[in-house]
Amino acid sequence: MRKKGAFALLLVALCGVAVAWQNSGAKMGGIKLGDRMPEAKLVDLNGRARSLGSLRGKNGTLLLFIATRCPVSNAYNARMAKIAEEYGARGIAVVGINSNVTEPADEVKRHATEHNLKFTILKDDGNKLADMLGAQVTPEAFLFDASGKLVYHGRIDNAQDEAKVQSHDLRDAIEAVLAGRPVAKAEARAFGCSIKRAS
Amino acid sequence: MKHLLTITIAFALSITAFGGCTTSSESSSSQTPQASPGKTAVERNDAKGDGAAAAKVTQIGADGLRQLLAVKRPLLINFWATWCEPCRDEFPDLVAIDRDYRSHGLEFITVSLDDAAEIERAVPQFLREMRATMPTYLLNVADPETAITAVDPEWSGALPATFLFDESGRIVYKHFGRINPAELRAAIERTLKR
Repeated sequence: MRKKGAFALLLVALCGVAVAWQNSGAKMGGIKLGDRMPEAKLVDLNGRARSLGSLRGKNGTLLLFIATRCPVSNAYNARMAKIAEEYGARGIAVVGINSNVTEPADEVKRHATEHNLKFTILKDDGNKLADMLGAQVTPEAFLFDASGKLVYHGRIDNAQDEAKVQSHDLRDAIEAVLAGRPVAKAEARAFGCSIKRAS
Repeated sequence: MKHLLTITIAFALSITAFGGCTTSSESSSSQTPQASPGKTAVERNDAKGDGAAAAKVTQIGADGLRQLLAVKRPLLINFWATWCEPCRDEFPDLVAIDRDYRSHGLEFITVSLDDAAEIERAVPQFLREMRATMPTYLLNVADPETAITAVDPEWSGALPATFLFDESGRIVYKHFGRINPAELRAAIERTLKR
């Protein structure tokens, strides 16, 4: 009986190794809907250390993984700026996160100025926050409600070309949070650039 | 006990090598496209394989993608775009893999996520530069979610993404980000040997 147990355990362990190997490149894990926003300390574009907790909004917090060189992320610059402006006034803190090892802080700062991104942007050195959240792509949104629980994860909307947008997924989720309603569609994906991780 | 342990390790390794372990997405038959024996292989861009023919790109929607997932197996699919740097970086390795394994029964297609306007410009131009002969499609969908889920519910949509399906339509290897050619070749060889 003990031998059978050892056999089963060994098989399960080897299967685990095999799955990890077969899914190479995939960063599984991260947080799930309902999980709390993790605490992390990152550096803003002025070199100042900021804790995520200190940036939380009264009515919710939106973390947006962005990039300077990704055409998909860049297609959303104006939409992201508008969301930050509109919902910042309604108590939703918008925080941009750049986790790409290929995009240094001075480039991120220059890009933000050029594209009028006025919300706080943090440089995620070593992609620690991206790993904690399981962020994979730019742009990618994580919306936390006022209590700090993840209520929406995924795309901003369904189309890079703003004229073709049919599904305003992130805006709908924010409106639900502000109205105290459950988010109807809590996850939605779109094609984008992979986050260029340090390791 | 020592003998039992040796047998156990050998057995487990053989299961591992032949893809006996599955992830949740791989074991879900409702999400994973199934083999369609009646379908024929997709047509190659250049039957001679010298890359000289004009690169043809076919536009598809979500249904077309589902049909592609049901073609002759084993099937390797790479999702890419001309605007995606790691996609461009890895393309020469993919062209070499196609050249080396096509005669061994590997069906290899690529799916571009470029804007539909690029179907006669940037996409075929890049394929010509790469001397690529794999059948190439441009996915044009109103809602990417359906297409992403049709391929793999665990895929975030980040490019590039590469999936290898075995003859039964199960994902036996996937990689998000730039491929490691040696790793992909090993996965293809394991799959073709089955």
